[in-house]
Amino acid sequence: MTLVLTKLGRYIGNSWIINDLSFEVKKGECLALLGPSGCGKSSTLRLIAGLDKPTKGSIFINKKNITDVSPVERRISMVFQSYALFPHLSVAGNLSIGLKIRGASDSEITRRVTSTLALMQIQDLAHRKPSELSGGQRQRVALARALLRDPLVYLLDEPMSNLDAQLREELRPELRRLIFHGEQPIVYVTHDQQEAMAMATKIAVLNNGKLEQIGTSKELYKTPNSLFVANFIGRPQINILSPRDGAYLGIRPEDIYFSETGISGKLIYTEWQGDKQLLIFDTARGKLRMLCNGDINVPDSCHLSWSKGKEHHFDKNTGCRINPQ
Amino acid sequence: MIYILSFPAAFLLVIVFLLPLFRYSWLSIHASSVITGLEVIPNNGANWFRLFNDERFWTDYMQTLRFAVSSVSVELILAILIALLLNHRVRSKDLVRALTLLPWALPTTVMALGWRWIFNTPYGPIEQIFKFLKLEPINILSDPNLAWISTVIGDVWKTTPFIALIILAGLQTIPDDLYEAFRLEGGKPKQAFFRITLPLLKPYITIAVLFRLAQAFGVFDLIQVMTGGGPAGSTESVALYSYLNAMRYLDFGYSSTIMIASFILLMFACVVCWFIIYNSKRLFQKSKL
Repeated sequence: MTLVLTKLGRYIGNSWIINDLSFEVKKGECLALLGPSGCGKSSTLRLIAGLDKPTKGSIFINKKNITDVSPVERRISMVFQSYALFPHLSVAGNLSIGLKIRGASDSEITRRVTSTLALMQIQDLAHRKPSELSGGQRQRVALARALLRDPLVYLLDEPMSNLDAQLREELRPELRRLIFHGEQPIVYVTHDQQEAMAMATKIAVLNNGKLEQIGTSKELYKTPNSLFVANFIGRPQINILSPRDGAYLGIRPEDIYFSETGISGKLIYTEWQGDKQLLIFDTARGKLRMLCNGDINVPDSCHLSWSKGKEHHFDKNTGCRINPQ
Repeated sequence: MIYILSFPAAFLLVIVFLLPLFRYSWLSIHASSVITGLEVIPNNGANWFRLFNDERFWTDYMQTLRFAVSSVSVELILAILIALLLNHRVRSKDLVRALTLLPWALPTTVMALGWRWIFNTPYGPIEQIFKFLKLEPINILSDPNLAWISTVIGDVWKTTPFIALIILAGLQTIPDDLYEAFRLEGGKPKQAFFRITLPLLKPYITIAVLFRLAQAFGVFDLIQVMTGGGPAGSTESVALYSYLNAMRYLDFGYSSTIMIASFILLMFACVVCWFIIYNSKRLFQKSKL
């Protein structure tokens, strides 16, 4: 099963909120749409789901053009950020409502709801209302509803952003176990790069409705295509040094090391991060962030260096990557 | 100590609600009329015996019930439709909302007078339209079988906006996500209305219906101005009858009895209504799991 978007665009008001977006998600792949708020990642999801109509471009599921097909016929499961559970229905009611309106038989409804409840281990919650559930439980119910749909494509819109950090980490492996082993392509919207790296096989970075770069998290980290991607991927943020020879120089904080020969810098800020510490130096080329071992006692002024191979160059005008000759 | 803070509210409630209630209850078991020289004399519940055998009271009660039930149900249906319309992206939303609310802001006597003229024979516009269409004109205000419908029309016109506003507030609490999730599952707009909108509006509908039912049951000014209870008493409401007893026949004792009786009957109607709404699940959907 595959999901393909070709030159997808959506025009609202007087601007393209999504423009020329093309990508392919293959069988069993999970693509994370990553970007700052307002970059068009949720809008993309809505276009795939069929909740909005694209102004141009096409969407294909299993090589079939579904651009003008109704949402239900696309057979898509979407997990909403708010979970979108029906507050007046019990958990079982929330699971069964779709089957009911699509005219499934009573025995089939009972069978599938029971098995999905068992799979998610939420049999005890079957008769509770969403208001009587915790955040984590609601999320499970939302996932259960998505699973029950038996879709061709899974769409997840920031499914964990309403949970606290600890719960989120606990749920990640489970989410992968339940959904990610399947045949279906998955599109996962998030603004959290940690989550994107943990969940996705590929990451697409969006900015202003345009695709900046698509690739594995390693590719995005090692060879960012643009200044935007370089800035967006990797924490602490990459150092961008003022332009020389028509190009910005980018160097990651973790690639900087102490050396006698490097440029001199004055320590102005220290942030303790457990095993690591983030240091900020004031240097002749501006402020430099550096990540180093947490055990080192850093003197107030020192010399910093990095290897040529770790440098990233970006065009001063376009922000595009310049590969070294 | 903290209870002191609720004193103003409690005081107001006692003054405008409890005191009159007790006073009328007390008066309802006494004779106090022009015959007793407006003295209050105990009469062993004679008022209540009179009430049970008073055909005019029971006719009025049924007429009031007919008026209340039909106007509130028509209002509710219209209000839901209007609220659904207003909840959509309407151009110049605020202006439309303000216009919708206008009838409600108008004093009842003024608008009742207006309706009386609209239904007037032979000068009212309805009559003119009938004439223009070369139809047999019906004089709705002087037909004992139809006059009550004109009062329902007047009431619907005036108070539909009020219910629409409550329903609109309810609609705005329903997140769009729910409709989208429902759509992805294959739900049609009509199904969405019956399976999502209506169940989630239930608390708002309950409030609106109970509130309006109580109000419609005590209808006085609209009927007094539009028909005066006529023709042949066919639109007379319980409140109007009670008013006539007190102000025309100067029988305060019996007037109070009517008041208290209608109060009890209204409470009963409200409980029945509440019960129906809260057990309405089966009316809307068959839920198995």
